[in-house]
Amino acid sequence: MAEDKKPIKRPRGKAQLTEGRCLACGARCQSACPVDDCIEMDDAGSPVIDQSKCIGCVKCVKVCPAQAIDMFFTPEERAILDQILAERGAEGAEDPEARALARKLAEYRGVWVLVEQTEGEAAKVSWELLGKGRALADTLSVPLSALVIGAEVEHLCSEAFAYGADTAYLVDAPAFRYYRTQSYLRAVCQLVAKYKPEIILMGATGLGRDLAGAVATAVGTGLTADCTGLAIDDKRNLMQTRPAFGGNIMATIMCDRFRPQMATVRPHVMQMPDKDPNRIGTTISETCEIEEEDILVKVLETIGDRQSHNVDIAGADLIVSGGRGMMGKDNFAVLQELADELGGVVGASRSAVDAGWMPMDRQVGQTGKTVRPKIYIACGISGAIQHLVGMQDSDVIIAINRDKDAPIFQVAKYGVVGDVLTIVPAITNRLRQLKAAGSPK
Amino acid sequence: MSQQIAFTILVLLAAATFGVLTWRRLSLIRFGKAENRFDHLARRAWDMLLYSFGQKRVLARPFGVNHFVIFWSFLILLIANSEFIVSGLLPDVSLRLLPDFVRGPLLLLFDVVSLLALVAIVLAVVRRLLFKLDTKYVKRRSVEGFLILAFIGLLMVAYFGIHGSEIARGQEPLKAWMPVSSLAASLPGDGAYGSYFWWLHAVVLCAFLVFLPISKHMHIMTAIPNSFFARLDKPNTQPREEFAPGNTYGAGIVSDFTWKDLLDSFSCTECGRCQEACPATATDKALNPRQVIHSIKMNLLANASAVKAGRQPAVPLIGAEGEATNATEAIWACTTCGACMEACPVLIEHMPKIVKMRRNLVEMKSEFPDELLNLFENMEQRSNPWGIAPTERTKWHTTMEVKDFVAGETEYLFYIGCAGTFDSRQKAVTVAIATVLNLAGVSWGVLGKEERCCGDSARRLGNEYLFDQMARQNVEIFTSRKVTKVITQCPHCFNTLKNDYRQYGLELQVLHHSEVLGRLLAEGKVKPNRQVTALGQVLYHDSCYLGRHNGIYDEPRRAIAAMTGEAPVEAPRNRANAFCCGAGGGRMWMEEGVGERINVERVGEAISALQAGPSTVCVACPYCLTMFEDGLKDKGVDNIRVMDVAEVVAEGLRPSLN
Repeated sequence: MAEDKKPIKRPRGKAQLTEGRCLACGARCQSACPVDDCIEMDDAGSPVIDQSKCIGCVKCVKVCPAQAIDMFFTPEERAILDQILAERGAEGAEDPEARALARKLAEYRGVWVLVEQTEGEAAKVSWELLGKGRALADTLSVPLSALVIGAEVEHLCSEAFAYGADTAYLVDAPAFRYYRTQSYLRAVCQLVAKYKPEIILMGATGLGRDLAGAVATAVGTGLTADCTGLAIDDKRNLMQTRPAFGGNIMATIMCDRFRPQMATVRPHVMQMPDKDPNRIGTTISETCEIEEEDILVKVLETIGDRQSHNVDIAGADLIVSGGRGMMGKDNFAVLQELADELGGVVGASRSAVDAGWMPMDRQVGQTGKTVRPKIYIACGISGAIQHLVGMQDSDVIIAINRDKDAPIFQVAKYGVVGDVLTIVPAITNRLRQLKAAGSPK
Repeated sequence: MSQQIAFTILVLLAAATFGVLTWRRLSLIRFGKAENRFDHLARRAWDMLLYSFGQKRVLARPFGVNHFVIFWSFLILLIANSEFIVSGLLPDVSLRLLPDFVRGPLLLLFDVVSLLALVAIVLAVVRRLLFKLDTKYVKRRSVEGFLILAFIGLLMVAYFGIHGSEIARGQEPLKAWMPVSSLAASLPGDGAYGSYFWWLHAVVLCAFLVFLPISKHMHIMTAIPNSFFARLDKPNTQPREEFAPGNTYGAGIVSDFTWKDLLDSFSCTECGRCQEACPATATDKALNPRQVIHSIKMNLLANASAVKAGRQPAVPLIGAEGEATNATEAIWACTTCGACMEACPVLIEHMPKIVKMRRNLVEMKSEFPDELLNLFENMEQRSNPWGIAPTERTKWHTTMEVKDFVAGETEYLFYIGCAGTFDSRQKAVTVAIATVLNLAGVSWGVLGKEERCCGDSARRLGNEYLFDQMARQNVEIFTSRKVTKVITQCPHCFNTLKNDYRQYGLELQVLHHSEVLGRLLAEGKVKPNRQVTALGQVLYHDSCYLGRHNGIYDEPRRAIAAMTGEAPVEAPRNRANAFCCGAGGGRMWMEEGVGERINVERVGEAISALQAGPSTVCVACPYCLTMFEDGLKDKGVDNIRVMDVAEVVAEGLRPSLN
């Protein structure tokens, strides 16, 4: 090849920090940087970029959750860039690799939601996901499909239509009566290969977490677990948002080179859509060649954990929790009243459980349950680290404690210093008044 | 002549039975795994002299002197009893062959010693009747104890009877040397009872010989070698495991133990001192260290044929509670505080056996309390027990200026530990230590976000695989950062860095912060600005991993004394006998649902030692701090504060207002 034919070298630029935008996310730019000592972190946790070492790989720009790093070009470089743009014109703007990728991605169309069922009854999270999936499908102008796998589960297809699905892919065979990774994985992979959806959503339940990971591995794509937000960007990519670093920041994760894009979402995160029993759709029945004998795992017995009196604090949206500061078992009635008014449940710290004031299954903390409600009201809980790790990811923490120096106030969004036994009833009363005033006479 | 034949038959039968029974038991020891206990022979011999013949540990308790008397009487009377047997077999051979100036004093010695032994036996019987010590032992074995005392007592009585009779019959020219026997000679009957006593002596001696290997009295044979083979260092660490396909880990069956573990089980005297010292036993948990040792012996005997043939034993080592089986609850109840080992007069090593069984449960069966799943995951993935984001390790740096450790520029690495980094209460201690170090001009730095959990809990909980991983990572960091001197905040980190990592080839000079502060004060590098009086009486609580496991008792006490002007108050159980706070051995991360809580028991003890009115419990460990604060809240006590030694020192160094 002749030297003189070599095209003008495209300038790569140097990474540069935009002041004030860094979140101190934990040195992700530094860890992404392939060059030694190019990025050093200062005491505030912001990067100090040595531009003489920057090779313009853009890795730090991509990894930054706050878009705090940009590529900087000198005026000369910018001129070259403009020149290249002018030479290539609109046609040559993209390189062939990108075009091939775009073609490959375009083969995948449609949004799928797995309808998780146990003994013919669907998990609510599946309907919540259909609600979200509807919005995504509308943005993309593609159909929304439900993926129904089980035995004698055809009725779930019509339910799925009622919650917004346009089509339902049904795999109905005795071998699918109980969930087993092996059989479900094969069914989903077969359907994915045949119909090529661009997005698959599953509930972040025991089943969903297991199946999603297996499917993503088998079809060779990415998976984002426990998403709290889903949206579509201008290139038809799914923006998957989830908390990272112990909830300190929200990370938006993209899967822009592989399809399908897969995400799981915890129950109660997405809003339940309205049910429209008159909506109809198309059911596409598929068969999957697998017999009970082929499946290595056998289900011997299903043991239900649905004891009606047991309250599941791990799944609750609002928790009113009491600790040693409640002074006695009887005082938990005060918390129950507040929880009832707010539609929440009552939790407890280890000391309250130890004292016998609350049952073991209400314990929040290191050795109890990890909870993540929308609102956590900590009453008379000082906030020892053992408790904090069980609830600090709650969206809003409200602390009520006599001791103004209690560590609970360090994680609380709102704090009330005072006696729990006067403050909590006061809140309950105020709520009742508001409700009475607001309700029609 | 007929007496001689009858005696010969008796002795031969007894000796043969003794031989068979002893061999059947002790030969099983060789089925244990290999372990080198043959190094440093001189030190071992010295330990044997001190602990066996000097009875050092036995004498540590008030009644120990009684055993001392019986033990030495036994040794001395071994000569008399040998003579008894030899002259019974060969009437011409006896001590009478010795010249009078040797035999006379010997006879006096025998007489006096026999009397002392008899008195000691009577006292022991009275003690057994008055104090029922055994209520918590799975099977009360008092009958055995009384039988042994009766044997010894009868032997002494018979000795006096035999020699009294000889004196009465004028057959003993050296009666002047035998005051007690002479007294016996004055009994009516003119010594005709002599042969009865002789036969009584013969029969009891032979019965004793036969009974010996099948009873706890076996320890007369095993305790002495056991103290010879005892660990030379403090048992504050566990051996490494080799991870390879096909290996088994920990002790799931009795032959997984080492030969020394098995020898331990045969050496137990069932004295019960370990169970008295054990915090788990004291608070009604399933664990009783004495039963753990006993179970290993019983399991070995019950499975003897399977062990010999290399088959899977029928009686499980771990499972439901039984005489030869350990309940899993018991295995998880141990705080690894080491009080049992400190108390054991024959140097049995209880705690390592419990950790071996934990290893088997965790690494082979994946069986452990539910709460630990979270802990193991957090330690593995985020290198701290709470699962907090590792980036938050530097959060406390906002409170003061903190430098990174750089070899050559900073002298000491201040290894903060997880509690000191993440726990808001403990962060105050971190700041206190750092402040004092700064005042003293000590050059120190931290690893910051690169610091990782030391892995102590994982190792004590038997998750050796996880510990191995964490230890390797830490050793790698320490080596690459060229760390040589470390100050730790937590006694658990201290012990792990100092003792556990040595197995990975890392030799560090590790100091606990209380040591450093004590030295800085002693050397005058920092001087108190004020006498700390606001704390009231100050009680010092020994952390197990600082005190018992690593022998640091005085530095923290001196540091407190330098600040308050007087020596700290002592809890009734202190120093080597201190009572655990309840959080060691990974218990920090587990529920404690059975019996009284260990921390509450310890807090009660502290309260009883302190005068009424505002006072302070001073600790040197993050676990102890949490456990004491919780215990005080449980007890509803609000006028006792819990502070770390460093906080007391920082208080005293605060510039005075005027």
